[in-house]
Amino acid sequence: MMTYIVFILSVIFVIGFVGFSSKPSPIYGGLVLIVSGGVGCGIIMNFGGSFLGLMVFLIYLGGMLVVFGYTTAMATEQYPEVWVSNATVMGVFLLGLLMEVMLVLYVLKSEEVGVVFKFSSVGHWAIYDIGNSGVFSEEIMGVAALYSYGAWVVVVTGWSLLVGVLVILEVTRGD
Amino acid sequence: MNPLILTIILMTVFLGTMIVMASSHWLMIWIGFEMNLLAIIPILMKKYNPRAMEASTKYFLTQATASMLLMMAIIINLMHSGQWTITKVFNPTASIIMTLALAMKLGLTPFHFWVPEVTQGISLTSGLILLTWQKLAPMSILYQISPSINLNILLTMAVLSILVGGWGGLNQTQLRKIMAYSSIAHMGWMAAILVYNPTLTMLNMLIYIMMTLTMFMLFIHSSSTTTLSLSHTWNKAPLITTLILITLLSMGGLPPLSGFMPKWMIIQELTKNSSIILPTLMAIMALLNLYFYMRLTYSTSLTMFPSTNNMKMKWQFETKQITLLPPLIIASSLLLPLTPMLSILD
Repeated sequence: MMTYIVFILSVIFVIGFVGFSSKPSPIYGGLVLIVSGGVGCGIIMNFGGSFLGLMVFLIYLGGMLVVFGYTTAMATEQYPEVWVSNATVMGVFLLGLLMEVMLVLYVLKSEEVGVVFKFSSVGHWAIYDIGNSGVFSEEIMGVAALYSYGAWVVVVTGWSLLVGVLVILEVTRGD
Repeated sequence: MNPLILTIILMTVFLGTMIVMASSHWLMIWIGFEMNLLAIIPILMKKYNPRAMEASTKYFLTQATASMLLMMAIIINLMHSGQWTITKVFNPTASIIMTLALAMKLGLTPFHFWVPEVTQGISLTSGLILLTWQKLAPMSILYQISPSINLNILLTMAVLSILVGGWGGLNQTQLRKIMAYSSIAHMGWMAAILVYNPTLTMLNMLIYIMMTLTMFMLFIHSSSTTTLSLSHTWNKAPLITTLILITLLSMGGLPPLSGFMPKWMIIQELTKNSSIILPTLMAIMALLNLYFYMRLTYSTSLTMFPSTNNMKMKWQFETKQITLLPPLIIASSLLLPLTPMLSILD
């Protein structure tokens, strides 16, 4: 089972996404997002990215989802919709599950499509690389590269986040 | 809107498009598209009525879907070529998905359904930004991947866009919807020549932006959003009436006005590549476009459209100043003799 752990985790990931895409009440969507976030963290950690997995738990689940949970708890209605309360929601959820099951069967049975075990590195294309030393983990080097060679990306993403906050404030102001 | 916030947001729209046009890394291009989309939403929602909210939501959903398709194409390209630089996209799957994603962003058929509805729901100035500036970024990416685009898909979408742009605009009286369908048709012309000679795509984009800017400025000057209110301009500013006539005929592609230049060059390039039926069909379908432009000029400049008597004696308010209208008029009608200067666009 351990060789297929990434596959199993990604199937649970997709089922989680189907769960909140079928639009139950946002509280239940947040619940499923917690599960999906945890499972996504597991997928990243299986490729050696322990730092990024920790970031997912801390920032995404512990920061953004907590704020989301509090705001939806303030704005929730008296009888929130669950997956089984509404025929439409249940239908979409079951349809998504069916598609996922068919995809899993196709991947497991067919000879052409396989399961990804390991990503091959970018070889000599990368300008910031540690080679095959095996001492440093690649993802920590990636984070370090972001703040040295990739400073422009940090500037652009920081600016996007600032503008995102301004846009949201502007849109919800209503006037 | 607070002037500081408006400045920051407009700057971010500009920055987003600039990042898309100047980047060599696919991820930065995607970031540029998202930044552009995020920052234009409050501009579309300037008036807080439900129509504008609905239009902004539709725009956001379609453009976000297109960005997701673009990201998938980028990742497939990464998987097969192992690198992130913008070059010819070698994998056919990635190329097709990327073409479809960029067609969604531009509003080519069969992804054109959002263009009239979004353009109608927002104010004239926002519609101006939507139909001119927002087309620059996806077109620049199409230009850069043009050697690897699947010809069948792109030409099908182009011809269908010209047809839909002409046919769909026939029953419209709202000026913003007319401009939206005109935009769909022009994007079709641009996409048709992209694989054969991308320089002409850029020429068509340039002339189209100048003509659309002129039309929108004239509409903003007379504050008219329907054919009926446009037909009252003879009373408010008779010169605007003449300018509307000239610009609309230029948009229809009539010589000796500058709107003829891109169509002429495109048809010439297509025939040089031994396709005769296609440019004939495209030219015939451009007649549909010309029909509803002519109908606008008929009701505005050539006749005094029937109206109630109190519309015939309008109080003269202070005239709005429009940016750059004289140069735009000149550019959108008199550029045809400059056709040999095409070589500077290479």
